[in-house]
Amino acid sequence: MAAPVHDTGLSVANDAEGNSKRHLPGDANVWLFVIGDMVIFSCYFTAYLFDRGHSHELFLQSQQHLSQNVGVINTLILLTSSLFVALSIQAARAGDLGSASRFLTLGFACGVGFVLIKSYEWFLELSSGWTISSNAFFMHYYMMTSLHFFHVLLGLVILTMLRRELRRMASPRLQFLQIGATYWHMVDFLWIIIFALAYLMR
Amino acid sequence: MPHMLTTGAAGSAPTGENPRAKRANVDELICWWSIPIFYQIFALVFGYLTKIMRPPIPGPTLAQDGIIAFTLGNATHMQVGTVLLGIFLGFASMGTGVIVVQMRRMSISSVLPYGYLACGAAAALPGCYFCALLFSVAAFRPDRDPHLIALLYDAGFAGFIGCLGCFATQYVVFAVAIFLDRNRIFPKWLGYMTIWNFVTELVAAPVWIFKRGPYAWNGLLSFYLGVVIFVVWIVCVIIYLKKAISNQPLGEVEPA
Repeated sequence: MAAPVHDTGLSVANDAEGNSKRHLPGDANVWLFVIGDMVIFSCYFTAYLFDRGHSHELFLQSQQHLSQNVGVINTLILLTSSLFVALSIQAARAGDLGSASRFLTLGFACGVGFVLIKSYEWFLELSSGWTISSNAFFMHYYMMTSLHFFHVLLGLVILTMLRRELRRMASPRLQFLQIGATYWHMVDFLWIIIFALAYLMR
Repeated sequence: MPHMLTTGAAGSAPTGENPRAKRANVDELICWWSIPIFYQIFALVFGYLTKIMRPPIPGPTLAQDGIIAFTLGNATHMQVGTVLLGIFLGFASMGTGVIVVQMRRMSISSVLPYGYLACGAAAALPGCYFCALLFSVAAFRPDRDPHLIALLYDAGFAGFIGCLGCFATQYVVFAVAIFLDRNRIFPKWLGYMTIWNFVTELVAAPVWIFKRGPYAWNGLLSFYLGVVIFVVWIVCVIIYLKKAISNQPLGEVEPA
């Protein structure tokens, strides 16, 4: 069931079939945001690497207390959610709003899964006595993952808004959907870096 | 449903019949000036007079002697700074008012501009005045017990940077308002930049936990990164606020 998806792209006008000829999905503003947010996060990553360079042994020992398996599971979950969100946008572009909405729901469910698993992982680590003030590694670990966690929660809110757009609007705005998807992909990308830094670098 | 803005009966030509007719938005521009003036005073007070920005090294782990030296060493400067800040603090409130007036022109419910105003009211005192005040209390009696001076030092600094979290909600409200606004009072990228500011405020919140490292109140991330992003943000807000005021149609009546 194809429904018209309203495309209010900023630049080039649509061609005869109504397909967008824009190079940039979403709008320039959200990409500016993504770049800025990544620059901010890279400051945190740099601080982590700097401290790691100073206390290599401490970091190596502390990292042993993180479960790599849980980290891998979380990474796979977020990658899968990004895939679902991308499929959702693709379906929306093709006018298949039903599939788009279903894919978005699946992506949202994966995001919730990440939140639950991360929370449980923190609970286990805290129960083992590793708190934010245990040592420098755990300071960075909890700060980075908390900041990322907040981004995931915000992303879930955004995905909900996208789903609402798909279900309740007569002609959903593709640009709005793409903006939300761009944010979600950024969240996924940031997690991959955190995973590599905290779990993998040994 | 966007708020409908009505133009006064006289439109852009003052005929004397419309009591709100005016030649330019001079009233708002006068209030707008309060913002750059306030931040210059802020920089003078916190950068030069009280020397709170930038914080003394090593910050939270400074030894007692160092704390006494810092607090009493520039006592007069600190006290003058507090006096100045006390007088000009109202400018921050006026500046908030100008932003709120522009937010009310947006196609959003009044709850957002009022929320912005209320958050600003809650955050302004701990946000800057509290800190300067505590240091001046410490400097008021040079023979005060050193432990009390150390207490005021901790409370002042950690409070100054830790209370940035109070502004966090204000920034979220501002960003949400910009994103929802269909009247394009402010550019959308300013909303995203406000989110960056909000993120750095979140990172400034754990200064109560750490005494050293990048997340301490003198830390690279909690303090310096936050300040840099804030400065960039406030400069953009000041510029685009002026543009919004200049673009505001004359005689525009605010919604009730």
